[in-house]
Amino acid sequence: MRLHDQFRTGWRNLSRQKLRSGLTIFAIVVGAVSVTVMLSLVTSAKSFLTSSFQKTGEDRRIIVTPTPGLDYRDSTWANWTDGSGVKLTDEVVTKLAAIPGVRHATPLTSFGYFDSVEAGSTLLTLKNTNMVAYEPNGTITRDVAAGRQLQATDDGTGIVISTDVANNLGFRGAYDRAVGSSITLTPRKDMGDQANKKPVILTVVGVITTESAHMEVTLNSARTFMPTFEQCTGGGQNTKPTCTNQNDLDRNGYASVYLDVDSTKHVDAVMIAAQKLKVGAAAGKDEIANQEQAFTIIGAVLGGIGAIALFVAAIGVINTMVMATLERTREIGIMRAIGATKRTIRRLFTVEAGVLGFMGGVLGVAVSFGVAALLNSILNRQLADNGVTARDVISVPAGLALLVIAVTTGIGMLAGRLPARRAANLDPVEALRHE
Amino acid sequence: MALIECTDLTKTYRLGDDVVKALDGVTLTIDAGDFVAIAGPSGSGKSTLANVIGGLDRPDSGQVMVNGMNLATAKDKQLSAYRNSNVGFVFQSFNLQVHETALENVISPLVIGGVGRKKERRLAGLAALEKVGLADRAHHKPTQLSGGQRQRVAIARALVNNPSVVIADEPTGNLDSARGVEVMEELARLNREDGITLIVITHDTGVAERATRVLTIIDGKVSERVGAR
Repeated sequence: MRLHDQFRTGWRNLSRQKLRSGLTIFAIVVGAVSVTVMLSLVTSAKSFLTSSFQKTGEDRRIIVTPTPGLDYRDSTWANWTDGSGVKLTDEVVTKLAAIPGVRHATPLTSFGYFDSVEAGSTLLTLKNTNMVAYEPNGTITRDVAAGRQLQATDDGTGIVISTDVANNLGFRGAYDRAVGSSITLTPRKDMGDQANKKPVILTVVGVITTESAHMEVTLNSARTFMPTFEQCTGGGQNTKPTCTNQNDLDRNGYASVYLDVDSTKHVDAVMIAAQKLKVGAAAGKDEIANQEQAFTIIGAVLGGIGAIALFVAAIGVINTMVMATLERTREIGIMRAIGATKRTIRRLFTVEAGVLGFMGGVLGVAVSFGVAALLNSILNRQLADNGVTARDVISVPAGLALLVIAVTTGIGMLAGRLPARRAANLDPVEALRHE
Repeated sequence: MALIECTDLTKTYRLGDDVVKALDGVTLTIDAGDFVAIAGPSGSGKSTLANVIGGLDRPDSGQVMVNGMNLATAKDKQLSAYRNSNVGFVFQSFNLQVHETALENVISPLVIGGVGRKKERRLAGLAALEKVGLADRAHHKPTQLSGGQRQRVAIARALVNNPSVVIADEPTGNLDSARGVEVMEELARLNREDGITLIVITHDTGVAERATRVLTIIDGKVSERVGAR
């Protein structure tokens, strides 16, 4: 029997039992959709993460901190130093910048010298707010929701705030309005000579999307706000100690240094060179790898749930095909009498089960595209509300779609094997007598 | 010329505790062009003999030689090919596929055998239906046809591959006498005019009388008398 005749016969037999075939296909669709959507979510999250790291150059970034042992995520938070470990002085920064492959070495420090921030009549306590100062030389790039990133011209005047801070200052959903507005920072009373200083008034130049409460100014700005501390050395019973006034940076050094490496290929070599200076160094690409690994595990778990759904669907296929062989016993006998081989009968039923799987796979993938579009439309609104520029982040990879169709077809054929063999091995004489 | 040679065929069935000898040392030869009636009481082994000759069943021992092939030991593929192209079966209960039209039923051996293209199959099917006088019923489903018409569709299906032998197992059993006579006329004509070897299983003496040879089978043993004609 020719292959296309087998397909035609299989299709015809399936259409004879529309409801039953439809329900069997529906079960496969459910399995296919759960596998496709879950795996698509994971791959989309992975690629969103990777692309956002690439967009900000974080895949080529190394963060140097005074003490070794911090991972990348923690290093990004290390904006405050207590003076332990290697003091990150300008000299160290110069050494780091000289490592082959390093394009820029950008020192960062905290400017957490303030208690609270005010915009209009809204007052916000700066307890858990990350306050970072750096030289805006292009190494650090931010996802901008409104306005722009920090520039050298912002020295002493401009500040960039995160969406979180903007929300708390009453600019939720109106970040454009935050840009250009003045905010007042009130100094802390407990740091050096800070208590004697007047509040600082700055203009918001941009709102950026970061995970948490965050504000940033240029390094030169931070220097002007910086408290000074009286530092005394020597001194005994009869001699007076020598006292000098040191600012925060002189005393503790930078909190961290961001290295912009020219290529991801050179990151490992730069890491090794930096670690020779006894400092801590963490690479963004390792963070990507960690997160990707986490997503892979989540993907395996979610995919496993989908696989269970597909397994149940396969049992549905077996059930349907067993029913079909029972109902069509006499037909099988007739076909055998007019010359069908066991192989032909076996293939007829296998093809039929394969068609069920294929249909389920195709419909399942189609539904998955629909689900992805629906999720995107919901998510796009959320992203827009949070000032994120990315859109349509969930996508069903074409390879996954084809794989799912291939797998459901394969599962169908596999599930059809047992009933098909049963049909093929029927004694034709017995089958013809079957009522 | 010998078309089918059966030698010492045996076949037993177990029915509960009883062992039924359906074939008990059957030896016979069927020549090309023969019209053989196999008669005998029910349960005597008539159908078993026909099924063994038709390659639908295998004997427990003995051999059935057709064109140098022993059906008793042939592989499923060879046996199926033999049924497909050398044998046409006509059954008491017609055994048509009820969801297919008359034409689709008739060409099904061609589809299964992978013979011809769509158009060629259609022409062959219509020709076979024409031969049994049912060309105008080609697109009717079996349920839309009378018993006699259904059996003629079955005959057309048996003929479509130009078989050398047609085996009809009680072909008139489900028909009233008038339709039964028509169907037998049809089969006899095929034997007479087209030289097709015809094996008819029957317990109807009227049918047996048309045959050139009558084999009587009782308790699995065959005896022969030359037919009335």
